Amino acid sequence: MGKEDTSTKKRRKLNTSLTSDSNKQVPVDVYKRVVEFEESEAQSRSAEKDAALFKKICQDVRQLFAEIAELKAKGTDEAKEKIHAKRIEASLLLVALKKLNRLEKVRTRAGREALHKEKQRVDSTHLLLQNLLYEADHLNKEVTKCLQFKSKDEEIELVPLEDFYKEAPKEISRPEITKNDEHQLQLARLEWELRQRRELAGACNELVASKERVAAAIAAARSRLDALAPHLRDVLKATKPLQECLALRLDEKRDEARAASLLPPPLFLLYANASAYSDVLGVSHLTVGISGDEDEARRWEQLNTNSMGSELVVSNDSDSDQDNNDEDQREKKKRHHRTVKISKEEKAEAKKKQVLQRHPLNVQVSVKVDDGTALNLIFFYLLNLKIVVVKFSMSLPKPITGVSAADVLNGDCILNELYTGDTGNDSPHPATTYLLNAAGITENFHHFIPEIGKPYVWAQRMCGLDFMAVVLDEHKVYKTFQPCQSLSVASVENFIFTLKKRLKARVELMKELQDLECGKILPVKDLPIRLSGSLTQWQSVGWPEYSQSPSTTFLISEGLASADNMLYRAIVTRQSAKLVALVALSSDYPKKSPLFSLTLHWNGTHHAGINDDIRDIERLLNTNWDEENSGTHTLSAKMTKLLTCIDILLETTGSIEFPPDKVMFRPVRGRNRIKPYKFIKQGAGLFVQY
Amino acid sequence: MLDKIIYNTVLCQTFSPCGKYLIAGNIYGQIAVFDLDCILHPVIELLTPDYNRPKHLHLLGNGAQICSLASTENFLIVGTVNEISGWDWKSIVHSKLSKPAWVIKITSQSSFEQTDVNSLWYAEEENKIYAACGDNKVYVYHLEDGKLVNTFDGHKDYIHSIHGRAQQVISAGEDGLVMLWDTRTGKSHNKLEPHTNAKVARPDIGKWIGSASLGDDWIVCGGGPRLSLWHLRSLDAVTVFDIPDHGIHVSFFHDDCVVAGGAAKYLYQLSYSGEVKVELPVSATTVYSAILRTSPNNLLAIAGSSPEIDICTSFNYRDQVLHFR
Repeated sequence: MGKEDTSTKKRRKLNTSLTSDSNKQVPVDVYKRVVEFEESEAQSRSAEKDAALFKKICQDVRQLFAEIAELKAKGTDEAKEKIHAKRIEASLLLVALKKLNRLEKVRTRAGREALHKEKQRVDSTHLLLQNLLYEADHLNKEVTKCLQFKSKDEEIELVPLEDFYKEAPKEISRPEITKNDEHQLQLARLEWELRQRRELAGACNELVASKERVAAAIAAARSRLDALAPHLRDVLKATKPLQECLALRLDEKRDEARAASLLPPPLFLLYANASAYSDVLGVSHLTVGISGDEDEARRWEQLNTNSMGSELVVSNDSDSDQDNNDEDQREKKKRHHRTVKISKEEKAEAKKKQVLQRHPLNVQVSVKVDDGTALNLIFFYLLNLKIVVVKFSMSLPKPITGVSAADVLNGDCILNELYTGDTGNDSPHPATTYLLNAAGITENFHHFIPEIGKPYVWAQRMCGLDFMAVVLDEHKVYKTFQPCQSLSVASVENFIFTLKKRLKARVELMKELQDLECGKILPVKDLPIRLSGSLTQWQSVGWPEYSQSPSTTFLISEGLASADNMLYRAIVTRQSAKLVALVALSSDYPKKSPLFSLTLHWNGTHHAGINDDIRDIERLLNTNWDEENSGTHTLSAKMTKLLTCIDILLETTGSIEFPPDKVMFRPVRGRNRIKPYKFIKQGAGLFVQY
Repeated sequence: MLDKIIYNTVLCQTFSPCGKYLIAGNIYGQIAVFDLDCILHPVIELLTPDYNRPKHLHLLGNGAQICSLASTENFLIVGTVNEISGWDWKSIVHSKLSKPAWVIKITSQSSFEQTDVNSLWYAEEENKIYAACGDNKVYVYHLEDGKLVNTFDGHKDYIHSIHGRAQQVISAGEDGLVMLWDTRTGKSHNKLEPHTNAKVARPDIGKWIGSASLGDDWIVCGGGPRLSLWHLRSLDAVTVFDIPDHGIHVSFFHDDCVVAGGAAKYLYQLSYSGEVKVELPVSATTVYSAILRTSPNNLLAIAGSSPEIDICTSFNYRDQVLHFR
């Protein structure tokens, strides 16, 4: 049935196509129409049904081919005819197939176009969505910005709410509104704030004005006081003749006091305490004075008060020009005109000068002992190193004869180790090295001592400077420390008495040495013995010679003698025997007794290191063994003892060269064969061992 | 004034019987007690800077010089001036010295004369102490009761040293004599006069004999005269030792050797034929005491005119230095 259907349709189609061809001469039109027709047909027909039809036709074609093949195998004419008929039928079916194919193609195209159209619509809708999202986002941002906005009024510190209600007048606070309306409340508080601030500003202005009035009053009073000064000066001038008449030293004292006020604090302390002592002890023992350029000091003081607090920094070169004295400045200016460059050496020199600069004023203290020998000390204060240095000179009532004796009264020697360990050879201030380095000076402080004076520790203490305290915070180099009053008081007293004692001792020693150099030994009382040896030479020796002698090795290794001691060589002879005694005198003599190192040249060379007899004599001379003699340690007493011992030693040898003339109980005693060096007063005097 | 201890002179030393202590006495009347355990076997952690200093320092009586020391099982015997005293070991090693256990006074002829007890020798079998004294005599005391048993009288000057062996005692004196005594009879049966022998004499130093010791067949002695070895029976000088000294104060036999010291830089150990075997450098200017022991350990202590005491454990070199100051 379907077959018939299709065939009819085909026929119809064919017909129509034929008719259209015949009806319309314009082939384009025909084609268009065919296309339109086929499109509409494709629309109207169902695709599934066409597919079924297609399958059916294919089945039919296959059927026909099978029949044709069967017929061909028969090969009869009848068959040929049938084949022909069947061939036509198959061809028709193929035409139908073609038609179906075309329809399908049309349908596919229409579907594709519809899909494309749909896709475009979706795209445009998506784009629209994106735009809307973006817009929403932007609006959100704007909203948060608005929410975060802070008004200026929030920064103003307002009166607390309770105070506001308590203090503000009703017309401003308007509690009935503001209690409910936050915004109105804020506005009201701001208004109250503004009113209050205006009032305070007015009060401030009033106070400033009153202050100015008071200042003006003060200035007026001050100018009146200033006007008083010339009158006072006139009064002073008028009193002068009266002062002269009454021999009052008021003016001099006033001058000195004025100079004292210009002294740097450490020197002022020294001056004050020392002059107090001089008043008590009298001018014959201690005199104190101030010398130096007062104008310069005044200038320095002004400069210092101007730059109050800002300490003079050592490495600051620009300052140095100001600080140096006028001459220097002028010189420098000249140089500046000639050549701007200052040579390196000059720069270094200026730097050195700057670091080692001392205060223009100095204090002179002179300590005198009874016989007129005086030691003059000049104390300088180093401004930048902040230490006190001392220069000294001796004044003697009469010239000293004798070389070694003169050395004893040399200032350097007297002041050496006045207190234990205080040689004055290095700065006591721990920061000195740092300051020198900071100024670019490579030499040690030690190097400058001959030039500027010695920084003894006692000098610092007399000026109230105690560096032990500074050591603790060494890193704060520029820390200003106040001189300590009590330290200065105690040190000045101690120093003056120590120095006087030392001076006295030295004068005595000088006399002793003078005698010894002449070969004279002061006879010691109650020692009625004849000494056969004689002192033939006494002279001072240097450390190299002293230390090279084998006899001194022991004392040096024990640390009992050092280069700081005063060293002498005494030669005692008796016939062919020669005794060389090296004597080390400590600076503390006579508190510390002299130390003897002996070498005997007789029958070979003997010293304490190889000979017990010499060692026994040294023991007697140097130690506290011989109690009865412990009262007097003076050099003369020791020399007498030495001569006695040598006599005894030589006489006990039994040599005919030294006939014994001293009474000895036993020439030798004990396993150590000790000689009788001890003298006991019994009868005419007797020598025993122990 | 310096402290006199810098010029210390140690005249005598002895070991305690327990072997733990070295006792030394000086001319200032001080006795130093050194703790040898602590010195020879120091515990590093407990070591103090003064470990080589005396553990105790006692000042005896009136400060008269300590001339000689001897030790017995129970007592430290100290010879000073005019007396010999015995001290309990316990009290000596105690930090505070109490009273001596016993004292023997030596009466001198005159009040002036002081008698030094220059040398002590303890005869163990007899329990007797022989004291060579400054009054030219040797006194023999029995330690049981402290009674004077015998007096050897023969020297013309004070006696430097005494030593004994097998019923014989030898003494050396300032008069230059070396005398041999029979302990049973108390008589001198032989004597030597080294300074009369030209090979031995050194007139520039003196004739005194500082030390003499007895060996089995030999005598060694020296002082002003050279150190020399004498045959005990023939009394001939067999060997004259050639060492550069200025007086011998110590000489004794040890292990086929002669140990000798005095005013010299070294303490010598010499063979009988005269070869120097060991030269031990010493701190002292003059050695007055050298004592040697072999048990419980080898130890040689050398002291003299110096605050230092040298200690040798090998007898060959100086191990340690003790400070008596």
